[in-house]
Amino acid sequence: MSPLSLRGHFSLVWRTVPILLLAICFLAAAPRGRPKVFIKKLKNNHYQLIVEHKPYIIKGVCYNPIPISQNYEYDWWSDPNKPWIVDGKLMKDMGINTIRLYQVDGDSDAVKRVIRDLYKNYGIRTILGSWLGFWEYPCPFYGDKKFQNKVKKEVLEMVSLYKDEPGVLMWVLGNENNYSCLGTVNPWSSDEIDKEPDPQKQKAMRAKIYYSFVNDLTREIHKIDSDHPVALGNGELVGLEFANKYARDVDLVACIIYRGKTFGNLFRSLKLTFDKPILVSEFGADCYDAYLKKEDQNMQAFFLESQWRQIYENLAGNKDGAGNCLGGTIFEWTDEWWKHDQSNPDSWSVHDTTSNWSNGSYYFDIKAEGNKNMNEEWFGIVALSQDLEQGINKRVPRKAYYVVREFWKKPILNNKRNKK
Amino acid sequence: MKKWLVVLLALSFSMPALGLAEDKPKEFVVYADKNAKDNHFIPSGWMGDYGDIKMDDQAADNPHTGTTSIKFVYSAKKLQNQGWAGVYWQNPANNWGNKKGGFDLTGMTKLTFWAKGAKGGEVILKIMVGGIKGTYPDSSAIEIGPIELTDTWKQYTVNLAGKDLTYINGGFGWTTTVDLNPEGATFYIDDIKFEADPSLKPETKKQETMPFYVYSDRSSTKNHFIPSGWMGDYGDIKYEGATKEDPYLGDSCIKITYNGKKAQGAGWAGIFWQNPANNWGNVDAGFDLSKTTSFTFWAKGAKGGERIEEFKVGGIMGEFSDSDSAVIGPVILNKEWTKYTIDLKGKDMSYVIGGFCWSTNVDNNPEGATFYLDELKYE
Repeated sequence: MSPLSLRGHFSLVWRTVPILLLAICFLAAAPRGRPKVFIKKLKNNHYQLIVEHKPYIIKGVCYNPIPISQNYEYDWWSDPNKPWIVDGKLMKDMGINTIRLYQVDGDSDAVKRVIRDLYKNYGIRTILGSWLGFWEYPCPFYGDKKFQNKVKKEVLEMVSLYKDEPGVLMWVLGNENNYSCLGTVNPWSSDEIDKEPDPQKQKAMRAKIYYSFVNDLTREIHKIDSDHPVALGNGELVGLEFANKYARDVDLVACIIYRGKTFGNLFRSLKLTFDKPILVSEFGADCYDAYLKKEDQNMQAFFLESQWRQIYENLAGNKDGAGNCLGGTIFEWTDEWWKHDQSNPDSWSVHDTTSNWSNGSYYFDIKAEGNKNMNEEWFGIVALSQDLEQGINKRVPRKAYYVVREFWKKPILNNKRNKK
Repeated sequence: MKKWLVVLLALSFSMPALGLAEDKPKEFVVYADKNAKDNHFIPSGWMGDYGDIKMDDQAADNPHTGTTSIKFVYSAKKLQNQGWAGVYWQNPANNWGNKKGGFDLTGMTKLTFWAKGAKGGEVILKIMVGGIKGTYPDSSAIEIGPIELTDTWKQYTVNLAGKDLTYINGGFGWTTTVDLNPEGATFYIDDIKFEADPSLKPETKKQETMPFYVYSDRSSTKNHFIPSGWMGDYGDIKYEGATKEDPYLGDSCIKITYNGKKAQGAGWAGIFWQNPANNWGNVDAGFDLSKTTSFTFWAKGAKGGERIEEFKVGGIMGEFSDSDSAVIGPVILNKEWTKYTIDLKGKDMSYVIGGFCWSTNVDNNPEGATFYLDELKYE
């Protein structure tokens, strides 16, 4: 290399380096692109879910495809017959675009395979959740730092494992854990709470601890994954006045609502209590008439159509609604035959018709003995047959499957119907 | 020729139709006079403390029209230990919906009757049209009340416009309670009839003005909702709606004794105040309380320290659900009267059938609990 050429080389370097540095600075300073999934607040204060630059209505189902004769411990993720392939096709035909998984356990490769298969084959996205240790024994101690750290580790592991899966839609933290703050389900306490004599103050102390913990988890998730919203799972709207103080960082709430044909004042009430968008993450109706003691698919279809109508009336852009609903995930895709008598394996092969609980909102069969009208094993919009097809229980869509499919194709809302 | 025939035929068909239209009855009498030919329905359905009722259906002392009216004497002695009594006019007599009967009263738009008290101040809790259930249920259930009678004849109207009157077996009825008439009541009813008044429009639910009481005093006509929704261990509850033990305001308050004995094995108990009585969301009724911003009440424990898990308004879910609900609790009661407030700002109280509710349990009251409530009202 001659001195001249060397000088020319230096000259090139001196001319290029500042440009490169400038480019690097520019790139570093440039705002990052929009997250893949985010919630947009519109000018009219309505909320809209945006997925890959497009508005997205969550038309979902809660998914837990436990076959007849198995219980909740069954590892369906590793089922060689891949039930989600058959289900995914049926879901796509119906118009479902989302499934909700309460919690993912076990082999992460198997979980990823399910998420990918559903997304790549059918365009169905997955909501991943965590119970936040709610069903562990002994009952959860959200006031205990060790317990909190254990749950936090599990949640962050889940997020790290699946955040880069293109089919993931969002995270849901908890389900109806808020009831434990009231002491009605899985009650917990701490020394400090026990010292407080006023039960209302005790409730407030538990709520502060729980919702602050969820907020802390949300912030941690946001640090490692800015592409997916984080939802606070909640039973009804109970306790959300505390969430308004202590869980401001959650992106939305995901509520379990069983109010029969109407959600009542749910959407407007939420706006006043805790102004966040809502996913109705668990709702629906069973299809067994506990009074007449026979399957009644019309009853289930009636409730589900009415519920979806109200969800649509409260989506962004509907001026007569609250504009804070992002959609819903029906409880549930298939029946679960193990639920009534969980500790008795013989009963997992029997479609039990004994009701477990009472809910007057589902009034068709409220005159059943003891007013127990809710049949936990009959909530599927798709029935399971004992006959096998492609190695799994044959799927038999119920009337609700078709009624909701038609509603989604052409949603006719009450305000529009009334104008006719 | 054929055209003339068609016109003639058309006329011949239309004339009877026109005639029928003109013949549509304008009224349908329940009671005019003792032996009036066009009386319908029989006052056979005696309810509650039926032993407390005496009826004279040919009272000649100052009828509104004609020669007789119906005189009722309600003694309020609680002979059947119910605390209330009433009479339904039925067709046929004693038909509680177990046999076919009734009338198709389509076209009628109101029921009118005249009534007066012997002294004035007598209170009728409810006047009913329809509402009998059973195998052959009435096609509608309409109620008005409470009504405070005067000592002179006065006409009252039940609006039936827009109601399905295709099958009415319970043509007319009244009920009242000991609480409303602690000394009993003597009153007269006359000229009960259904009428076709085409100008009458269906009644729309009006927004109630505030304050709107659930309970003021035992005999107050301001009271609304009935403490009929006993829940859980209902056998553990003793309800006294007219105790004079140190009321907060007025001459009486509510005393509730919960003994915690788990009579039905539930371990908890409570009472819902409903409209109408026993409405768990199966009857389209209730009140429009849209103007309310809070519900207030006064409460105290017999000893202090009694724990009530929930005080609630709204929240009944059924075919006709309450439009919203709000709750406070758990509350530990003081021995002294204390005011409690349920905040209703932002709540949709446009449709309320569950006016008020309390519930508690044996876990937190192993020895039971006796407590008092007064001045329950929406503001």
